[in-house]
Amino acid sequence: MLSVFKSIPTHMDYKGQKLAEQIFQGIILVSAVIGFIYGLFIQQFGWTVYIMLAGFTVSCFLTLPPWPMYRKNPLKWQPAVPEASGENRDKPQENQKKKKHK
Amino acid sequence: MNTVLSRANSLFAFSLSVMAALTFGCFITTAFKDRSIPVDIHVSKVMIKNVDDFTGPRERSDLGFVTFDISANLQPIFDWNVKELFLYLTAEYSTKSNALNQVVLWDKIVLRGYNTKLNLRDVKSKYFFFDDGNGLRSNKNITLTLSWNVVPNAGILPLVMGSGHKSLAFPESYETAKSY
Repeated sequence: MLSVFKSIPTHMDYKGQKLAEQIFQGIILVSAVIGFIYGLFIQQFGWTVYIMLAGFTVSCFLTLPPWPMYRKNPLKWQPAVPEASGENRDKPQENQKKKKHK
Repeated sequence: MNTVLSRANSLFAFSLSVMAALTFGCFITTAFKDRSIPVDIHVSKVMIKNVDDFTGPRERSDLGFVTFDISANLQPIFDWNVKELFLYLTAEYSTKSNALNQVVLWDKIVLRGYNTKLNLRDVKSKYFFFDDGNGLRSNKNITLTLSWNVVPNAGILPLVMGSGHKSLAFPESYETAKSY
């Protein structure tokens, strides 16, 4: 069953990771400030915690799944070396190894 | 932050740190508040007996019976950092053998959100008012005060004494046990 979860792609590129971190930090801080002020106003600390938890849930939804906005700057990999010259290099080495065994 | 678990770890740890900061903020806003309120105590009946005291070193000790009324408005004490109040009524006096005696006669727990106007009439003491010896008879000055222990959500638990006390005097003679 674990292989099903491991096969779902969850990666983000670097700029996407930075954006995700900024988003969740911003949301949690804003909900913390709102919660603190509201709790102080109605004199119930329970509401401060509820508003914080709501901010936590919203930022979970926004930053945990890999949305397309986090994949806008993919890494530029080097172009693949063509296969033909690679095979030529391998074969003479294999022949040399076989000769040495004998 | 490449995998979901890594992002979830980072998010959760940040939330906990922010929650700790909020709790500290809650403590700071109420740390220096004066939690004393005026309290009204009346005493309706005072009686004294001289009985066997199995908890003390001597044969017989004085046992006092006090019936009292308490009225106080506890609403100003409750703020967002108070979870409950533990009220207790103390009798304080001095005798020939001991300079200071303090006995707790009655206590009550008042939770947040429950009725905060205290208006109790003809309350008998919950705990025995035993003296360490025979110093209650004809003792002219016994002071009753109501104090409370504030249990907060975050921070220190102060013991606060209410302003307002009642002095009473015990009678000269013991009440003899009635036989029917």
